[in-house]
This record gives sequence, C-alpha cells and structure tokens, in this order.
Amino acid sequence: MAYATLAALILATFLPFAAFLLIMIFTRTKPALSARLSVGAIAVSFVCSVLLLTQNWTAPGPVEYSTQFLASSGLNIQFGFLADQLGLLMLTIVATISLLVQIYSLGYMAGDPGFSRYYAFMSLFAWAMLSLSVSRSLLQIYIFWELVGLSSYLLIGFWYEKFSASQAGKKAFVMTRAGDVAFFLGLFVVLLNAGNLGVLELNGPAARGMPHEILTLSALLIFGGIVGKSAQFPLMTWLPDAMEGPTPVSALLHSATMVAAGVFLFARLFPFFSLSPRAMGIFLAIGTISMLLASTMAMVSRDIKRVWAYSTISQLGFMIMALAAGGYFAGVFHLTTHAGFKALLFLCSGVFIHHLETNDIYDLGRLGSRRFKIPTISIVIAAAALSGIPPLSGYFSKESIITALAGLSNPLWLLAGFVGVFLTAYYSFRVMFVMFFPKEIEPEKVHAQEPYDAGYRAMAGPLIVLAAATVLLGFFEAPLKNFLAGIIVIDLQAPEHDWSHIAALVLALCGIALAWFEFGRRGAEQVGFIDKIPPLYHLFAERWYLDHAYRLFVDLVIDRGISWLLWQNDNKVIDGTIDELAGGTVEGGRISAFLQTVMIQYRLLAIFAVLVFLAFYFFFQKI
Amino acid sequence: MNWMIAAPEIFYFAAALWFLMLSFFSKPDARREHLSSLLLASLGVLVCLASVGSQGYIFIQAFTADIFSQVFKVLLSLGLFLIIALCGNLPDVGERRIQDFYFLLFTCTLAMMLLVSAGHLLSIFVSLEVSSYSLYILVSLRKNQDFGLEAGIKYFLVGTFASGVMLFGMALLYSSSGTTYLGDMARVLPGMIDQPVVVIGLVLTLGGFFFKLAVFPFHFWAPDAYQGASNQVAAYIATVSKVAAVAVIARVVAYAGQESTYFVHVLVILSVASMTVGNLAAIAQKDLKRLLAFSTIAHSGYILIGILALNPTGWSGTIFYALALLAMKFTAFLVVVELAPEGQNLQINDLAGLHRRSPLLALALMVSLFSLAGIPPTIGFTGKFLVFVAAIERGYIALVIIAMINVVISLYYYLLVIRAAYLLEPSIELPALKPSMPIKLLAGISTGVIVAAGFFPYPLIRVAQAAAQVLLVGR
Repeated sequence: MAYATLAALILATFLPFAAFLLIMIFTRTKPALSARLSVGAIAVSFVCSVLLLTQNWTAPGPVEYSTQFLASSGLNIQFGFLADQLGLLMLTIVATISLLVQIYSLGYMAGDPGFSRYYAFMSLFAWAMLSLSVSRSLLQIYIFWELVGLSSYLLIGFWYEKFSASQAGKKAFVMTRAGDVAFFLGLFVVLLNAGNLGVLELNGPAARGMPHEILTLSALLIFGGIVGKSAQFPLMTWLPDAMEGPTPVSALLHSATMVAAGVFLFARLFPFFSLSPRAMGIFLAIGTISMLLASTMAMVSRDIKRVWAYSTISQLGFMIMALAAGGYFAGVFHLTTHAGFKALLFLCSGVFIHHLETNDIYDLGRLGSRRFKIPTISIVIAAAALSGIPPLSGYFSKESIITALAGLSNPLWLLAGFVGVFLTAYYSFRVMFVMFFPKEIEPEKVHAQEPYDAGYRAMAGPLIVLAAATVLLGFFEAPLKNFLAGIIVIDLQAPEHDWSHIAALVLALCGIALAWFEFGRRGAEQVGFIDKIPPLYHLFAERWYLDHAYRLFVDLVIDRGISWLLWQNDNKVIDGTIDELAGGTVEGGRISAFLQTVMIQYRLLAIFAVLVFLAFYFFFQKI
Repeated sequence: MNWMIAAPEIFYFAAALWFLMLSFFSKPDARREHLSSLLLASLGVLVCLASVGSQGYIFIQAFTADIFSQVFKVLLSLGLFLIIALCGNLPDVGERRIQDFYFLLFTCTLAMMLLVSAGHLLSIFVSLEVSSYSLYILVSLRKNQDFGLEAGIKYFLVGTFASGVMLFGMALLYSSSGTTYLGDMARVLPGMIDQPVVVIGLVLTLGGFFFKLAVFPFHFWAPDAYQGASNQVAAYIATVSKVAAVAVIARVVAYAGQESTYFVHVLVILSVASMTVGNLAAIAQKDLKRLLAFSTIAHSGYILIGILALNPTGWSGTIFYALALLAMKFTAFLVVVELAPEGQNLQINDLAGLHRRSPLLALALMVSLFSLAGIPPTIGFTGKFLVFVAAIERGYIALVIIAMINVVISLYYYLLVIRAAYLLEPSIELPALKPSMPIKLLAGISTGVIVAAGFFPYPLIRVAQAAAQVLLVGR
C-alpha cells in the first residue's frame, strides 16, 4: 500500500523528466515520436495523480517519504515526497492542465520547426512543476522553483528568432530571479534559526522557537519569491511580456500552474506565515495593490492575451488576499477553479489567434471570431466564471474569498475586493462584446466555414473538457473543503455575511451591464469610459509607469552605482590578488618539487629533523 | 583455536604458495598465470565476503578478527582483484619473472590482511615488514633495471629508516606501559598519556605507518617509487597498500592515542604539511605518475583529518575515505595502464587528444580526477565532506579551512590533466585506442560507482559506521 503510493509518486513525477531526456538525446529529429513520448508520459502522470487523489480522498494525514541529505549537527535538510492533501490537489491540477495543454499543442504547434524542442521543454516543465507540488522540504521546492523558472524562460523565448520574444524571456527570468534572491536569503534565515527546512517541521514545532522579528523577516523574504513568481506588485510587468511565448505555454505556465506556484507556496507554508500577523498584513496589502493595479491595466489593453495576463495577476492577487486574510480554503479553492477557467480562456484565445493570426480584439471581431462555435461558447463560459456568475466555478470561489475578506475587522479590504469584482466583470465582458459584437465586419471572412481538421479537433477537445470542469467544479466546494480540512483547521469561522455575497454578485452584474452599454448594445461606440480620460488611459496603458521606474532604477542605482563599484573591485582587487596568489602558489610548487630531487641522505636527514622538531615541540608545549 | 576466522589469510597464503611452487616447477606462461591469478583473486574476494561476519582471536589476541578488520579485508581483496585485472599485459615484467610477480602480489596482500587484524606490536611489525619487502622487490622488478632498481633502493632506504623509527617507538611504548597487546594498551595508556615517553613512543610508532601512507615527512619515497615502478605496481601501491595503512593507523590511534592535545597537535601539523607539500609539489609535475604520487601524499593529509578528530564521525569518515581512495585511484591508474601499452611512463602532454582516441577512458579519467579533487556528486566529495564534518564537530575550524584552500590548489593540477585530455591537440595524429571488453566494462563500472556513491553514499556510510563501532569499543 505505502509502496504503491511511493511508486505512483515516482512515476508521476519522473516520467516527464525521462521523456525530456529521451527527446533531447534521441528523438529531436522525429517530431511525431517526440510528441507521443511527451504526451504519453504526462498521461501516465495524470492517471497516477488522479489515482493518488481518489485513494487519499478519504484517508487523512500527510504521507511523506524522505531521506536526509548531508545531515550534520544542527542542520536538517530532507529530500523526498510530501503527498498531503494540498500537494496531491496541486499535483492533480498540474497534471490535468499539462495533459490538456499538451494535447491542444498537437494542433496549435503542428508544423513548427521546433516541435520536438517544444515538447522537450514542456516535459521539463511538467517534471519540475509536478515535483514542486509534492516536495518535502523548502530547499527541494526552491530547486524545482528555479527549474520551472528555467523552463518558463526557455518557452517564452521559444521563438527566439523574434527579438521581442527573447527579450521577454530574459525579462521574465531576471525579474523572477530578483524575487528568488530574497527567497533564498529567507531559506538561509530559516535554516540558521530553525535548523530545518522541512515543510512539516516549519508548519509544526520548529518555527515556533524562532524569535518573532526573525520570523517576520524570514516570512517577508520568502514572500519575495512569491511576489516574483506570481507576478505581484512590484515585480509584475514580466507576465504580460511573457505572452510572447506560444499561447498554450501562456495557458499552462503563465496562468494556470507556474505563476500559481507562488500562491501554492503561500498555502504550503500557511501555518508558518500565520505565526507573523505583521507579515500577513503586508501580504494582504501587496495582494490588494496587485489585484487593483492589474485590473486597471486590463481595462485598456487591446491585446487579448495581455488582458488575460493582467487578469491572471489580479486573480493571483485575489488568492493572496484570501490567504493573507486567513481564508486558507478560499485561496486554495480559487487557485483550483482559476487554473481551470483561465487555462480555458487562453486556449480559446489560442484558437482565434491561430486561425485569424492577430492578437487585437477589435481585429478578431472584424475577422469573424464568432464563427468558431466551440471556442466562442467556451470562452463565454470561462469569462462568466472569471466574472463570478453563478453557477460557474468562479462564482463559488470568489464568494468564499469575499467571505474571508468580510471577516476582517477593517472594511477597507472588503471594499477593495468589491471594486476588484466589478472591474473583473467589466474587463472580461469588454473583451467578449468587442469580439463577438463587432461594429463592422468583413462579411466574406465571417461566413467562411468553421474548420474541422485533425488539428482543430485536437484543440477543441481540451476546450470541451475544461468548459465542463468550469461548469461543474463549483459544486465540489463542500467535498473539497472536507478534504483540505484534514491538514489545516484554522479557516476563520467568519460570520455569515449574506449581504456581501449579494453585493458581490450585483457588482459583477453591474460590471457586465456597463460593458454591454459601452461595447455590446446595438450602436455602441465601443470606446470605454477610461479611454475618454486621456491621463488615466495613459497611466493604465503604460502600466502605471512601472517599467519606466525599473529602467530608472536599473540605470541609476545598478548600472552607475553598484556595477561600477563591483567592476572596479573585480578588476583591481580581485584580479590583482588572484594573480599574485596564483603566481605564489606555482612558485611554492616549484620549491616543493625541488626538495624532492635532492639526494637520499638529505631526505632521511629531513625526516629526522622533523621528528626532532616534533619531540621538542612537546617539551615547549609543556612549559 | 578457531582457524576458520583466519580463512582469508589461509586462502591467500595458499595462493601465494601456489605461485611459488609454479615458479619452481613450471615454465612461465603469461596468459595462463594471469587467468589463474584472476581466478584466485576473485575466489579471494568471495572468501573475504563470506568471512565478513567472523569474530574472534587466535594466538592470544595477536590476531584479531572483527568487523573492522573483515571489512578492510574485503577492500584489500577487491583491490588486489582489480589490480590483477589490469595485469593482462605486463610489458614491464619479464616473462621469466611473471610467476614471482604474482607470488609477491599475493604475499603482500596476505601481509596486509594480517596487518589489519594484528593486535600485538610484534605481529604489526612483522606483517608490515613482509608487505614492505614484497613491495620493494615489486618496484625493482621493472625490466628497465636502472629505473626500477634505483626507485627500489630509494624506497627500501626510506622504508628501513621508518622501520627503525617505528621499532624504537614500540620499544618506548613497551617500556612505559609494560604490555605489547593493543587491547591492554587501551586500558593502561589513558592514565599516562601526558608522559613524554609515551607520546613520543606513540608518535614514533606511527612513523612506520605514516611511511606506508606517505605522510609528510615519510613521503620522500613516493614520487620516485611511483615513477620507477611499473604502472601496475604503482597502482597497487596507490590503492591496496594505502587501504591497509589507513586501517592500521586508525586502529592504533583509536586504541592507544587517547585525548592528548600534544598528540592531536602533532597529527594536525603532519596533516597540514602533507596536504600542502603534496599539492604544491604536484603543480610542478610533468610526469603523470609523479603527479598522482603527490596527490596521494595530499590525500593522506585529508585522511589524517578524519583520524585526528578522534570521534565516531571521524572513524567512519576515514573508513569511507579509504574506500573512496581505492575507487578513485584505481580508475585513474586504469587509464594510465591502458594508455601505456608499452609500459612507458606517461607525461601529462601525452594525454592530448585522449577524448577522441577513447571517449570512455577520457570520461573515466575526468570523473576520477574530479572525484579526487572532491567535486560533488562524486564519492570523493562525500569522503571529504565526512572527514571535514568530523573535524568541525571537534572545533578544528582552522584546520578545515586550510584543507579547503588545499582542495582549491589541487583543483589546479587536476584540471591541467583534464585539459590535456580534452582540450589539447596531439602534435602527431595518434591511432584510436581500443580497450578490450573487460577493461571497458571495468572502466564503466568504476566510473559509475564513483558517481553513484556520490549520489547514494548511505549504504557505504552504514558499512563504515558498522566497522567504526569496533574502534569505539576498543577505546
């Protein structure tokens, strides 16, 4: 039984890695075989993860398998699997979305010269992300954390011959790394003070002994990694640029799974973070700021993928708000539902982009996006879920977040949440109305037939599955809550705020109504109210000038300040010293070697001299 | 008396006798002798494995079998088997002497097995001498008489000097403690460890073993002996004889060397001097075997760190290190032997273009040298890690820092060799090397073991810990 679980875990996590190696070494020139290897591996992972989830659905308690890595006194670093409820849930989400996206990619990437490379990187990502979900210790999480970062870099810059793509890859890598530096420092602080990096230990007794200031410091540092990975304020602008990658990549990495790794880590260490209320306050603020800023950016963007990217940032902000407000279940539940409907949004957009070859929502509308029946229906379902319309999954998870926020003593956060709900509904339906109720159309394009070739079927299949999940997932709220309650029992028992639920729903409907009024109704100008206020429009379109601020910071502080100093140090101090040291060492080597060439009697004399010295040393030491 | 506990020794004695008889009564035949010695050596490994569990005394504790000695006997027999596997082609040893060659190899291994089991000063001395004398002759056996003989005589002179020092030390120990059994000494010495005569006696006694391990200042023979001996004999000295030396030093220090700051200081001085002299001198070497000799000297310094920690971590680390040394040095010498089919001495520049002549051998060389340098994930890294941790547990931070600096210096010359094998172009195009299938297999397996044991060292560490238990009980 235990061995079967372990075997399933190993299979689920390592098969994609095996696929990655096989593709890179053997089948790079055989695209069809590469794709089969990759999809086959992830399919087995999917089956294993579903088996594990159903098997553990009723059985409580974390299941861990671990060995020690380089244990020495006072330091403990475990390596292994931690297959508790949260880990298994994440494992299943990742495996499911990965499988669907890889099947979808069969159609989307067909004929691309880098087809094999694409599937190799997808497998690499799947391995890293699946392993991250069931990692036993923070160091292990960190390793896979960096590996998903690497695969993200590789996949964003997949079309590396495009300058903007390789730039975007670099930007994503550097900005997430900035957060990871903080994460790594946080790991050091934790290791030095708690002597342990195990997830269970930190959530349990090991962290309680830490001084309060140190605890807050380490929580904030680790949160730096979350900010980078989940593209929260102030490290948020890499995510919209990351949309340069292929659309399935955006669906898998940059909306459903990888960027959610930050939120997942938050949930992973939730009891640990909860020990520091001050840190939780800061997290709440950062989540709220990111959520609101990103929503405003989404209101003015014309690029469909960027709208969903901003929306991802803002939804991740929602999750962090929920977790920071103590709503553990709300955060994790929204993570689950969001993975489904956001992946669906991207994949549907991918179908339009693939066939109409533009990202602009107005162009998409003009070229007749509404003739694609399956994507059109699916994307409307997903957008409605995103806006929080019952009975779709997003409605349930958003309600539970609102409940968590309503439980806070300060009503400001609840207010921010309401604004977020309104803006979300507005920008998602702005896209829907622009795309499907275009002002002018090109009739010959619009009346063309929906294509029904094999590629289109490969893309449509996952859409149907995800749409079904989006419709049904909300009804699993109660069982999921019971399942997750096994590990955490600190969900705030918030008093019932019936009015807040209704208010959120009303606000969402108002958002849609406003979008309809401006974009959807017959004869609408299709110009948003923000567009009519130029300063505000520019502020939002330029992403609140965050990129300019970074540029200034990098130029002034890093390039002219720190780099210059380091360059001087490198050239003058380090190089000089190293040259001297190396020269001296080689010279010492010559002398030592020369001693070896003297006649044998002098060598014996040397032995004798050393022995006499050692004997004398004894007497000197006595005195 | 239960003779069965000495089964490995009896087996190796019979094997040595077999080759002695052959040399009297039979015409030499290189291929037949090689196969028979290979068979005997592999049987020897099985015998040693079978008797891992045996325990007991014969000759009133002069011969002690315990898990510590039995584990080391397995290592010794394994080492002998591996070295003999390299002896398929012995260009350096005359056809006439081939039976003597194997006779001496088996005798030497037998003496080392007795050495790791010895519990009495005299049995230690006798077995040490027997193994040394076999080696003196083995070194001189090289066909190129001037080369081998000169090295043999240098080796012999330093060796006899060290033996004299050791005998003197043993006499001092006996005169102060009144006993010659290690077990009794472990009881008597702790009370008198601060007397000059005891500690100096102990240090001088260890001198004899330091000679075996090539610890500064008893290291002067090593470069010449390695250079002068045939490649296979040099490989034997670098692997099997070092394992035996580690075992006997660990046992004597554990039994007799109680807590004494002076004693620890002496070991620290010798350790630092060995590492530094070995690593610095290695930088200036052009001859590959000389370079490996100096690297061995440096490694004896690292091993002393594990021994002078005088704690369980240190003992098990030392035993693990001995095993690691066996694997790494064997792999390096395997490449040396394969690259010199005429038995000539290799210069570092002769490695140029190796990665194209034989990718497998180049890889084996690189992995073994990285392991010697202590780069993770290799067995050499784990070995260094274990002894360094042991020293840190005792608070010898400065010593570990010096050792780390030495590791960095050593990287320089290991990388020089790897650079020669991978980056240098040969001046004249050399034909591709075609190692035989068994050699290929051996190279692959030993390379695999070095890496695998770097990833999963725990089974081996557990063996080392079990063996180290004996040393604790002895204290």
